[in-house]
Amino acid sequence: MPSITGIAYKNLRRKRIRSILTIFGIALSTWVLVSLFGFNRGYEASLNNDIDNLGFQVLLTAKGCPYEAATLMLQGSKSLRYMPETVLDSLNQNAAVDKITPMLMQTVFDVNKGEEGGMVGYLGIDPETYPSMKPYLTFSSGAWFTDRDAKEAVLGYEVAELEQREVGDLMLIPEKEVEVTVVGIMKRSGTQDDGTIFMPYKALQTIFGVENQLTSVGIKVKQDVDINAYEEQLYSIPDVQVVSMAQVKNTISNLVSTAKVMVMSIAIIAILIAMVGVMNTILMSVLERYQEIGIMKSMGATTFHIFRLIWFETVILCALGGIIGSLFSIVMASLTETLIRYILPYAPSGALIRIDFMLAIKSIGIITIIGLLSGIYPAYRAAKIKPIEAIRSSEGEL
Amino acid sequence: MKVHVFLLFILLFPILISAATGCDLNDPDADIKRLFPQSTGYKTAYLSLQKTGGSDALKRVEKSLGDKLSGTYETIDVPYSVYTVFKGKDVLGYVHGVNQKGQYGGLQVFLALDNRGVISNFYLQKLSSKDAKYFKDKKFTSQFKGLALVDFSTYNLATGKGSSKLNAIKDPATSPKSDFAAIMRAVKKNLSLMQEFVFKK
Repeated sequence: MPSITGIAYKNLRRKRIRSILTIFGIALSTWVLVSLFGFNRGYEASLNNDIDNLGFQVLLTAKGCPYEAATLMLQGSKSLRYMPETVLDSLNQNAAVDKITPMLMQTVFDVNKGEEGGMVGYLGIDPETYPSMKPYLTFSSGAWFTDRDAKEAVLGYEVAELEQREVGDLMLIPEKEVEVTVVGIMKRSGTQDDGTIFMPYKALQTIFGVENQLTSVGIKVKQDVDINAYEEQLYSIPDVQVVSMAQVKNTISNLVSTAKVMVMSIAIIAILIAMVGVMNTILMSVLERYQEIGIMKSMGATTFHIFRLIWFETVILCALGGIIGSLFSIVMASLTETLIRYILPYAPSGALIRIDFMLAIKSIGIITIIGLLSGIYPAYRAAKIKPIEAIRSSEGEL
Repeated sequence: MKVHVFLLFILLFPILISAATGCDLNDPDADIKRLFPQSTGYKTAYLSLQKTGGSDALKRVEKSLGDKLSGTYETIDVPYSVYTVFKGKDVLGYVHGVNQKGQYGGLQVFLALDNRGVISNFYLQKLSSKDAKYFKDKKFTSQFKGLALVDFSTYNLATGKGSSKLNAIKDPATSPKSDFAAIMRAVKKNLSLMQEFVFKK
């Protein structure tokens, strides 16, 4: 005697195209669902990684309108906000501080970049304190600067590649017409440092005529320190503003939340469509087999048998769709990631979509449960068929 | 909110300043129109020596150039953007750029070529040099108009000597070290690559 599973499988094969299309619909929904879950997980991990790679938990910047400063820099102005270098003394006196590192950002407009010109940026750092904040930065050749005033540059991987520079080569700071010697090339780090030209901040101060000025200070606090309380203390320093990296995380998360809501909405719609599709397929199947089900009941099949049969058909459709969709999401992860990177206002480096075996299993489970719920109604309708009425009727009179 | 925008800027800063990679035109729509004013459209193809002929193609280009191709932007698999420029359905010519190591950074030298491979326009998209204004001046760039690969066939990259047409092109730089030799190599490399990609057919 054939099992209920076998009969359910055969029933689905009878309407092959319809079953394949339903499975395809479920697979697409699963793809969206798995990718969404993978994105939520991957984005957060990558963002945390990027923030941690900044090497400090608190950033101190000069007081003023930072938005204006950012805009001015983008537009090519040199009107950056500065704070006096003496701020380092105040910071060093605080027991909560583990390490600090001064930074000076400078930009120049290079008229020889394309037809319209373009910006070139330099990050002035302290070779004594900055490397310990960024232990992941390693050299493919060369090393950090020979001294704090040296007219030397260390290049991130991408800059070195673009400018075709090697250790010992020269670079020219546009406008200033100052030559600097490349002393180090970084290995690819997968962070924003790959696109950075590092110089000793003291040398940058001299070249740009901003002696004893800084644009920011990175602060790493001791492990047991309450960062919020420490931030409050920092506000006692005049003319500075404090931003914690936790705020950056929140800001970026808020910025992408719109995109997440959009993707979530698409996922919900896709799931609803899949649910309706499954329900429609099974209900159609029940309608077409109205007399057949009546005969089955007249031959001894119970209401529960029929209910199980119809439900099994739903399970097979959903499980197959779920498995195919999960596999699809794994195979298409890089394409999905490219798409998401295009949409997002800011995408951290590293894998944006992280899909593992457990996530795929969970998603298949969710899809199967959703399918089971959509199968209840058609299964109930089938189970309620009265054998005599069904046999008497012509097809489709449910 | 302003603080957050600033921090985002800090995170994005290196990306903003180093967006251009490879040797594509920065603004192809405007650049093509400038190089071929009568053009109505263009099509971009990404070609590499690997795809078009493998190691044989590499050898042919090296022979034509008279120098070995080496370094990041001269490997066999480096993709080159070749812009085919149209006027209606007719091909007006081609635009092609190459990267070249210069004294202070990477150079990007683009040539606009007619259907026969003759230079109709010369464009230095990127150049870091104290003498950049001389190299970008029309007095210098216009000297390349009318030249073709055949004119460079006797040009020796090491000595900087070649046909009378090329010997007439003088280094405009005032400083003792100059990017002149790098620019001449870039032009010859550009023409040799275009011979392989387009004109040998």
